[in-house]
Amino acid sequence: MATNTEVDYAREKKGYINILLGLLVLTAVTFIQPQLFLVEHNFAIQMLIGLAKAWLILMYYMHLKGEKLIGATVIFSVFLVIFFFVVVLLDVANFQFGENSHITSEATSAGKSVADRHH
Amino acid sequence: MGGHEYVPEIATDRNGVEHEVQGWQDDFFGGKLGFWLFMLTEVMMFGSMFLALTYYFTLHHADFINASSSLNRYLGGFNTVILLISALTMGLGLLEMRAGNVKKAKLMIWATIIFAVIFLGVKAVEWSAEYSHGIFLGLPALQGGGAESLPFGEIMFFGLYFTMTGLHGFHIIIGIGIMLWLLKRINAGKVTKDHYILHWNIALYWDLVHLIWVFVFPYFYMIGAGDITGGVGHGH
Amino acid sequence: MSKSYLDAGETHCAIGHPKSVFWQWMLTVDHKRIGIMYAAVMFVFFFVAVFTAVLMRAELFYHGPQILDGDTFNQAFTLHGVIMIFLFIIPGIPAIFGNIVMPLMIGAKDVSFPRLNWFTFWLYIFGCIVALTSLFNFSITEGELVFNFADTGWTFYAPYSLNTGTNVVTTLVAAFILGMASILTGVNFLVTIHRLRAPGMDFFKMPLFVWGIYATAWIQLLATPVVGITLVLAIMEKYFGIGIFDPSRGGDPVLFQHLFWIYSHPAVYLMILPAFGIMSEIIPAFSRREIFGYRTIALSSASIAGIGYIVWGHHLFTSGMSDLAKTIFSFLTFFVAIPTGIKFYDWVATLYKGKIVLKSPMLWALGTIITFAIGGLTGVTIAMVGSDIHLQDTYYSVAHFHYAILGGVVFLLFAGMHYWFPLVTGKFYNEATAKVAFYLNFIGINVLWFPMFIAGYLGMPRRYFDYLPEFEIYHQVAGIGALILVAGLLLMFYNFISSWKSGEKAPHNPWGATTLEWHTETLPPILENHTKVPYVDFNPYEYHHGQPKVKFDYKTMQRID
Repeated sequence: MATNTEVDYAREKKGYINILLGLLVLTAVTFIQPQLFLVEHNFAIQMLIGLAKAWLILMYYMHLKGEKLIGATVIFSVFLVIFFFVVVLLDVANFQFGENSHITSEATSAGKSVADRHH
Repeated sequence: MGGHEYVPEIATDRNGVEHEVQGWQDDFFGGKLGFWLFMLTEVMMFGSMFLALTYYFTLHHADFINASSSLNRYLGGFNTVILLISALTMGLGLLEMRAGNVKKAKLMIWATIIFAVIFLGVKAVEWSAEYSHGIFLGLPALQGGGAESLPFGEIMFFGLYFTMTGLHGFHIIIGIGIMLWLLKRINAGKVTKDHYILHWNIALYWDLVHLIWVFVFPYFYMIGAGDITGGVGHGH
Repeated sequence: MSKSYLDAGETHCAIGHPKSVFWQWMLTVDHKRIGIMYAAVMFVFFFVAVFTAVLMRAELFYHGPQILDGDTFNQAFTLHGVIMIFLFIIPGIPAIFGNIVMPLMIGAKDVSFPRLNWFTFWLYIFGCIVALTSLFNFSITEGELVFNFADTGWTFYAPYSLNTGTNVVTTLVAAFILGMASILTGVNFLVTIHRLRAPGMDFFKMPLFVWGIYATAWIQLLATPVVGITLVLAIMEKYFGIGIFDPSRGGDPVLFQHLFWIYSHPAVYLMILPAFGIMSEIIPAFSRREIFGYRTIALSSASIAGIGYIVWGHHLFTSGMSDLAKTIFSFLTFFVAIPTGIKFYDWVATLYKGKIVLKSPMLWALGTIITFAIGGLTGVTIAMVGSDIHLQDTYYSVAHFHYAILGGVVFLLFAGMHYWFPLVTGKFYNEATAKVAFYLNFIGINVLWFPMFIAGYLGMPRRYFDYLPEFEIYHQVAGIGALILVAGLLLMFYNFISSWKSGEKAPHNPWGATTLEWHTETLPPILENHTKVPYVDFNPYEYHHGQPKVKFDYKTMQRID
């Protein structure tokens, strides 16, 4: 099995540019969203926009669309990372010693916030 | 230069049907698969760092938002666009190579390198600005328990900020290095219209570097954007 | 006399075509030679770590200090753990038999990336050198020669690893480099198994050893980067004070434990899965019949790899983790016993009504069924949170993992060495000596480690260089066991080395096995493995009345049965 099939240069290039435009639009949304809409869920929205961008990059720039085996390995790894996140965050979100722990109690963990410094 | 052309072996089954044996030589899919598997390790590595980041975001929600609001979103956003365009130039370069336009392919690779250098330059500007405000690894603001100390959550934020953007920048430097090497291999005639697995994989690598930034940027720069305090007041 | 891959000039090199035998070995990309070189280096380090263990057993023979002080003892168990884990058992079976045997078993001529394989071996050597540098790290403090090797235990827990004056950073760097070598081996083996199987060999016609290597490669690939970055973060913490694990800045040492064990638990499955693969090869060959439940054993390897990723928190039961997390991890941990149990039942079912050949590879396999069963079952007892609170960090845990790693992984590595010795060398070892060595090892491990379950249950803590007098008897029995074990090890290696030099020549397919690595014209195999790649339209363990069903004409690799 030698290299890939012939490339339709013009069509591929057009596709890349379209994806670029999509990514630029999403980047713009990233910027204006915190001022405009769904501001209480800022973090979730930002990550969702990131996911959308990542999906475009993976599918089209990285040519994952149509790749069966490689796509399956990517999905497996992503699920693994998600599992690590879910369980570790379940652990830390249910931290039982919040008031007494040196790293979270009011007494020890406070300081002069950077937001209160200059600007 | 043509050298030993690899001729695959043939295995014949009991019905006399011939089957081509896949050798380790000249295996485009194998080269692709191998590099994707390697990239999965980068996913696990940066994934673990995002895990650490989210760990402390959970413990110190308000501190993170305050710290984020102090970062320069415009420089960060500018870098996002630079990296985005560089991913395009890298992809176009590969397209040119596959279409046989070697000169244009090299031009695109050079363009990508230049964008990468600009990215690093902007990063250096950001870090110097933070340093001059006393926010840097080793400075009193990032030590615990002193008069100049930031709150614990902000120390965690900035510690991971410098670590993750630093590691990302390190991957950009490596990317520049392998792109320069790619140019050498093209000039030596080892990467051509018909044998471009190296170019393919390097383009994938650059897309991965971009992919990581797609999550680094909003996580550090945007969570504190737009005067959002997540419903919590300043401080702890 | 046809040529073998060991003959001078019979090898492919990464750079050029050297004439000298020395450079042919240094530059070889041949998977068989690379596997042998891994074995040579790994066993040297193995014996260094065994010596460290004997030193500790000697210190612990009587209570009170004898030959080591407390700090040096801490360095001793750190050294023992670092060498055994990072330099020996994690490269382990994949580096040796994954390299030598796996490509032969799938009918390939080499791995997918032979030059990467060569590079990976030397990366491993570089990691070993860095580890040695951290070992020979001395300084003069107040006129005294001070030995600076890390004293944190191989687990490098924060915050002690951040604050200790001993040289932790070099060891962390060594572990990182060795981890990279493990990852690259995983990549190479995964692509090899996906791409280079002989025509006709789909996944469910692969030998079970290949399934074991495949599942292991997934763990090498996805789990190792997590510890890699954890070690980098620990180094950055020490040098730049990023704060991530340092409580004085708000860092959480429990996060270090989470990240560390997210790798280190899957790592133990990385160790045992290839070993189980070896068991699955030996059992059918020495029962002269097809293995029972081929498909379930294959799928159980995949399940163990998968489940292994999600149970790491059982190492953190006493760390301050939340009760919710403890419950989740305890619940998930029990599941991993299921596919393991399936394998054991399938192996025993294979023995039933088989014609058992009680030669040394089979002795090792059968012995391991006993010792690993003990290791595995005692693991289940500490998977329960309640009992683990009492037994964590006692000798009970230490006995558990030594039964599982020494009595599971290492014993099966030795089984594989006996089984494939004729393949690799073309010679036979002395069978009577091998049997004696087995019994010494088997008796030794049980005398050494079984008392430790009791001592741990009664409260003997681990990593302690001194203890209350009531524990002395256990340490003394264990000390005797250690000497018996070491005698067995030395006898076994003496047998291998002297037989390779001057043992009798092995006949073709000496065990009458069915898998492809034995279907070469001569032993040892030629450089290109098989004369021609065969078409595989048969299952890996087809026996007919105790004899292999599939026969080949070795000139054409066509079936003649």
